[in-house]
Amino acid sequence: MMICRTEVCKDRKARFKQITNHPYFGFFIITFLMLIVQLLRVTGVPVSNTLIRAFGITMIYIIIALGFSILLGYAGLASLGTAGFVGIGTYILGYFTKNLEASIFIVILVSILGAIVIGLIVGFISLRIEGMYLAIITLGLSEILNEVFKNAVSITNGTNGLGLDSQLIIFKNLIFINHNTIFIFTAIIMFVMMILTLNLIKSPTGRALLAMRNSTSAAQAMGVSILKYRLMAFIVSTVYAMLGGVIYMSYISFSIPTTWSLAFSLNILAAVIVGGSQSIYGIVLGTFMIFGLNLGVFQQFDFFKENPAISVMFNGLLIILVIMFYPGGLIRLVTTTYYKLKNALAKLKMKWRNYRYGSDN
Amino acid sequence: MVPIINQIYAKFLEKRINSAKTKIEFYDNFLPIKLQTLEDRYNRKVEIIKLKYKQKLLSLEIPAGVDSEYLKEIYETEQANLKDKFYWKERIVKASSQRKGENGKEQIQELEKEKSIKANAIKNKYYPKSTSEAIKNYETNQPILNETLEAKITKIQTSYQIKVDKFSNKSNKAVKRYQEININLSAKLHEITKDKIAKYSLEENVVLSLKSLSMHFGGLKAVDDLSFDVKEGEIFGLIGPNGAGKTTVFNCITRFYKPTLGDIYFKNIYDDVVYLNDKLVHNIIKEGIVRTFQNVEMVWELNVIDNLLVAAHTIYRSGFFGHLFNSRLLRQEEKVMRRKAMKILEDLGISAYQYAYPYGLPYGILKKIELARTLMANPKLIILDEPAAGLNDVETADLAKVIKKIRDEYNATIFLVEHDMGLVMDICDTVCAISFGKKLAMGSPKEIQNSKVVQEAYLGGE
Repeated sequence: MMICRTEVCKDRKARFKQITNHPYFGFFIITFLMLIVQLLRVTGVPVSNTLIRAFGITMIYIIIALGFSILLGYAGLASLGTAGFVGIGTYILGYFTKNLEASIFIVILVSILGAIVIGLIVGFISLRIEGMYLAIITLGLSEILNEVFKNAVSITNGTNGLGLDSQLIIFKNLIFINHNTIFIFTAIIMFVMMILTLNLIKSPTGRALLAMRNSTSAAQAMGVSILKYRLMAFIVSTVYAMLGGVIYMSYISFSIPTTWSLAFSLNILAAVIVGGSQSIYGIVLGTFMIFGLNLGVFQQFDFFKENPAISVMFNGLLIILVIMFYPGGLIRLVTTTYYKLKNALAKLKMKWRNYRYGSDN
Repeated sequence: MVPIINQIYAKFLEKRINSAKTKIEFYDNFLPIKLQTLEDRYNRKVEIIKLKYKQKLLSLEIPAGVDSEYLKEIYETEQANLKDKFYWKERIVKASSQRKGENGKEQIQELEKEKSIKANAIKNKYYPKSTSEAIKNYETNQPILNETLEAKITKIQTSYQIKVDKFSNKSNKAVKRYQEININLSAKLHEITKDKIAKYSLEENVVLSLKSLSMHFGGLKAVDDLSFDVKEGEIFGLIGPNGAGKTTVFNCITRFYKPTLGDIYFKNIYDDVVYLNDKLVHNIIKEGIVRTFQNVEMVWELNVIDNLLVAAHTIYRSGFFGHLFNSRLLRQEEKVMRRKAMKILEDLGISAYQYAYPYGLPYGILKKIELARTLMANPKLIILDEPAAGLNDVETADLAKVIKKIRDEYNATIFLVEHDMGLVMDICDTVCAISFGKKLAMGSPKEIQNSKVVQEAYLGGE
């Protein structure tokens, strides 16, 4: 019967909408798009190695940027120590697998514990110092860590860099893992991290962080302990950074102190600000603009390979333009253009309707 | 040694009692929500089953020529759909002929013919000539269908009833258990802290008591030897000329400043007298003191209802990992809290703004939202810092009503600082006037109005 069909249709449509409106659906799409590049290569389409590498590195940087956005966008604390923390993560994996032959799970546990300790230290500093001065202090910490990386030769192999022959220890035995497998694992971890970040942001904890960012005195009057939440924000962001470091080391298999310099921290900061510090999609977009564009597109051309300064200049220009015209980040631009397009489409539809059916009067 | 252990034990007991109380509140509030969702689900299931039954019946009824209401409904909607379809076709023809400058009457006549043919076809489809076989078939199968429908509905009903009983039993049991725990622990606590309770005692009906409070900033005595009592359930106004130290008194009570000298006692939501000087700023709300600020302090990135939920922060039982993994407890708690927030917004008459963002809302509404936010934390004492600052006369009158309503319906004591004398004299039960940190006079609004000392302080002496 007619009615039956339409009811079933409505039900199906509602179910489909339920899936697409689910808050995790967008994250699933992003992860799926990332995995498609890898799948294409498996099926035989020639995808260059550098492109896949670019996607992998961008995913790792997205994880790091997510942690940083909790700190900057929600707790309102500026930090320039990200590079140092990521560096520690890479060296923990390198040292533990190469010298101690420890399992990857122990490495992750150790890196989380280390992140908690470092997060506590920086968090306690942040109780007394705010704003620009906190950024300078964390920058100092990062530089100290960088010097340690350069000089602790027995652990980090100094300025020559620490290499791993793409070996990981899952339980007891040394297992050589394909980079492609790690790529897939990275995508899955990114998906999980996005979900966890969204949960945290939408929960009472996220609201408390936002209240703290708006006004510390009002937050305290509402029962938000500044000590607890500042420490928490720093610990969470450091855990994200260290985890990013561990994944970076297992994917790239090489870590050198010059990577973990001020430029890296500034690039993460730029990615978060360019994309939009309070939106997860914004962070994905920003990371792609700052890192993905350079690694994935510019590096394909010889001109940019010969002049690497041009991509840095492009980043600088992007930051200036975004801060001048879109203080909310590029995601704001995307949403506004989406609504503008929607309006324009509706107007066009109206015109077409008037042409086809004649005006209503 | 023993007193220290006792103290630690007493604190532990206090924490457990408080958590039991919040759990009881949670179960009380969550039960109706759960029952509502269960009922909705049940109704939807029954609806779907009835629809399927009607459709099955229809396939029997049409050949048998039985006229039912459902058949009529379907027939009419089909006809209406057809009419609608041809209306738009006609308009297309008219518009195109207008563009070409033709008459287009022939085409329309053709369309009408087509329409009448289709209408007839629909009529034949739903009202065909009945055959004796079909009638027999209908007579035999209809009772069977009815039976199966009833059986299905009773089955769903019983399962629904079982679920409801199970859940309400569980919730009632939990409430009972926590009440028992509460009584036992309270008795234990009372035994331990007999002497302590005697140490801090307040007169009956007194909620807040300041005893010779002093606050010095360097050489400046912002508050100097001030003492007064706030009684339970009253609206207490603190007035004074600019720089009299009113806000300093507020900040001392809410622990933003540490007073130089003097004691502050407060009877908290559990009717225990606490020494506020020992408490931390963010723990004040747990005792039942909530404050507002002179210039509204909203979280601008969150909508109004989420802004209210910020103040319920201390009531949540789920911890950091619960928040990280979006645990079941958290989801239940969010439902309970949102319901509570909605109720408060409705009570204050601002439920229209529940999903609006506070940015750009009128100042009067923002003040009301801040008032609503204080109510989220089950307060015993609400401290208002200049509630009428920046409001016009109409908004101020409205605010006065709201403040009285809060006092009456939420059993809260209200303590306010205000410059608007009209508001103070209108709503306050007791008024205390201070100047240069010292108490001038205290009494009913009329007494204060007629007091010479107060007049001198405001208008200057001779």
